Amino acid sequence: MAGLLVVGLACAIGAAAVHAAQAKSPSPVSLEYAVKATYLYKFAPFVTWPPGEFASTNAPFTICVVGNNPFDGYLERAVAGRGFGGHPFSVRRLMSLTPDAHCQIAFLAQLPAQDIRQALAAVSGQPVLTVVDSATPDREGIVQFVIRQGRVGFEINVGAASRNHLAISSKLLSLALAVRDPS
Amino acid sequence: MSGAVRTRRLGTAVLALGLLAMSFETCADALPQDLGSLSLEDLGKVVVSSVSKKPQPLSDASAAVYVISHDDIMRSGATDLPGMLRLAPNLSVFQSSPSGYIVTARGFSGNNDAQNFPNKLLVLIDGRSVYSPIFSGMYWDDQFVLPQNIERIEVISGPGGALWGANAVNGVINIITRQAGDTQGGMLWLSAGTREHGEAVQYGGALGQHAHYRVYARDFRRRSFDNSAGQDAHDGWSNPQIGFRVDWDAGGGDTVMLQGDLHDGRVQQVGAVDSRSTEGDVLARWRHTISDTSDFHLQAYYDYVHRRDDASGSGFVLRTGDIELQHSFALGKRHRIVWGIGDRRYHYDITPRVSPVSSLLWDPAVNTQNLANAFVQDQIALGSRTRLTLGLKAEDDPYSGVSLMPSGIVSFKPGDNVLLWTSASRAMRTPTAFDQDVIEKLGTLTLLVGNPDFRREQLTAYEAGWRAQLAARATMSVSAFYNVYDDLKTVEFSPAGLPLLWGNGMRGHTYGLEAWGSYSINDAWRLDAGFSTLRKRLHFKPGASGLLGTSQAGDDPSHHGFIRSVMNLSDRWMLSAELRQVGALPDPKVPGYVELDARLGWRPTDKLELSLSGTNLLHPWHQEYVFPYSDRIARAVSFDLRLAF
Repeated sequence: MAGLLVVGLACAIGAAAVHAAQAKSPSPVSLEYAVKATYLYKFAPFVTWPPGEFASTNAPFTICVVGNNPFDGYLERAVAGRGFGGHPFSVRRLMSLTPDAHCQIAFLAQLPAQDIRQALAAVSGQPVLTVVDSATPDREGIVQFVIRQGRVGFEINVGAASRNHLAISSKLLSLALAVRDPS
Repeated sequence: MSGAVRTRRLGTAVLALGLLAMSFETCADALPQDLGSLSLEDLGKVVVSSVSKKPQPLSDASAAVYVISHDDIMRSGATDLPGMLRLAPNLSVFQSSPSGYIVTARGFSGNNDAQNFPNKLLVLIDGRSVYSPIFSGMYWDDQFVLPQNIERIEVISGPGGALWGANAVNGVINIITRQAGDTQGGMLWLSAGTREHGEAVQYGGALGQHAHYRVYARDFRRRSFDNSAGQDAHDGWSNPQIGFRVDWDAGGGDTVMLQGDLHDGRVQQVGAVDSRSTEGDVLARWRHTISDTSDFHLQAYYDYVHRRDDASGSGFVLRTGDIELQHSFALGKRHRIVWGIGDRRYHYDITPRVSPVSSLLWDPAVNTQNLANAFVQDQIALGSRTRLTLGLKAEDDPYSGVSLMPSGIVSFKPGDNVLLWTSASRAMRTPTAFDQDVIEKLGTLTLLVGNPDFRREQLTAYEAGWRAQLAARATMSVSAFYNVYDDLKTVEFSPAGLPLLWGNGMRGHTYGLEAWGSYSINDAWRLDAGFSTLRKRLHFKPGASGLLGTSQAGDDPSHHGFIRSVMNLSDRWMLSAELRQVGALPDPKVPGYVELDARLGWRPTDKLELSLSGTNLLHPWHQEYVFPYSDRIARAVSFDLRLAF
């Protein structure tokens, strides 16, 4: 046991040293989630929301993060000062997704399948672009992130998009690894 | 081995890990700050595979669950399931021979002399139970899944009776394989090492627009080990296997999966022909999503096992057919219900072992039995942060009739990233043919017979746990248990003295702690650590024979733990190392050990990966289980090649 403790101590010291060395750079988010965060706000120009979606011409464009927040502030920093169509991006953290949350994009992060389904049901028929992080067997979200060969890609369910009154541009569809249309 | 040598070896290990830590600083990749300037196309080209584990979701599973991820498995270099299970801090894995393993959660590794088997852990591969209904327990050599096809392994320590039924007493292992769509293309794997050789080839393709398949073939040979006296045990093992999986997305919320495997294992024996085990299985599952909050699945499988030892003439054929239906739905805003029914029918045909010295007979030797079950679980939201989960399973087995296994769990989320839970539950290990129908003879003397009055072994378990995500970089889980056992299996005298009978003469309690955590120092380096402790307080009931002592329930270490370092040295180089320590086994005594495994992987191109792995690097050999039933487990080195095409 003593041996284990010694090694543990060595690891901890090594870890602390490395941690201290790079503590200045604020980059605790993993690259995978940095890429996913970037996708989230870059999807906006390729999706058409129904007219009247925004209360005013400069109302915020809201990206909601539902569930565990894997971004650790990265998404907020990334969208700071950015906007789309005159609407500044804003990020909201939600424990659960409701129709009155007024999200344009809802990212469902690392939730159990049941919670994902409940969140998707809550905004079904509402103009919300649902983006699901972890794979659910039925892939009912509009956008589903998938990891293929170490890269982040996405699949698109156009049936779910039209249910939510969203039009997805052909450009975005062409970049999707798979396009599903469950009728 | 002298203490001085041991200390020096450990010192070397400490030095090595320290050097790794230092060399690492130079290779840490900073996060690209300019992702925002990339186009969508270019975002899709960023290689993100990293060692920093995704923060584990604080899921509803209020239990001591440890998830072994696909990435952990690939980086470990493990070639068989028990090797992968060593990655879980809440399991004990003992290797006794090239093909022999014992895996336990929270103790009860059994005892060979008492013919008490490690039978309190349930193992499922894609929903197929691989627990043997003849003798209760596991034949680990019959279970293999290609590492790259495993999505994850969920290891639940603690009873799972209310959901999974009998024999999920101390834990449940769920092995979940990847969908065929996630394993497309060709893969070739070649491995050569001091201990074993293996080859595998797999190809995955599409069947039309909505279905995918994969087929694989694998061969594997592990050399004979030295027995505990240091002589060749002549117990080498080979196990070729083939298999397939098809996934079909039928649209309209319907998915269909079909998979099957077939293997033919051979284990060498001293001065006799190889013992053999042929196993084949096929499983089909239909899942239907009824609505956003409701789905069901219907699953059926068939499994055939033929194990035989032609030298002694003994063996058995076991055919199992199983069907289950499970439905989950939301009831109002507060309730989530899961219920299911299942039926398993098995037929066995046992060939007795008969020799002038000792015989093992069964009455009946040919039998068909049925096991039916039904369960319901309700997750009730009590406010936004508290959840109550109530479950009950009823199982009707051929020997003890209906068993009821209830459980109740309360979980509470005081903050977004913390979960507290506590539970009380009951679980059973149900009798088998070995408990009730066996006849053992020494020459002409009938030494022991099965007991028709042998009852279920019972557990009432109390657990509490805490799980937290500490910032984005660290996760931690601590759980404690207090298990109360009754009617544990013992050997008793019949009224006339002999023959002996199986009985239920032992009871007692165990308690312990399981803790693990993970810390991502940065995107390229993660440290994992875990440990488990176990204390057993067992005693014989009044009137019990007391034969063979209370240690017959299992020879279990009081603690074990590991520290693991997983790092990307660069885009192309990976290094992982695990130092583990296992406490001594108390009775019979087996010394504890400290061992180091390490693997260096190099990906010269996206299609090719070469790796060098070493297991048990600190000592020439150590022993993990009881003399004389277990071999020396030697240091081993292996070179692997993995090619995608």
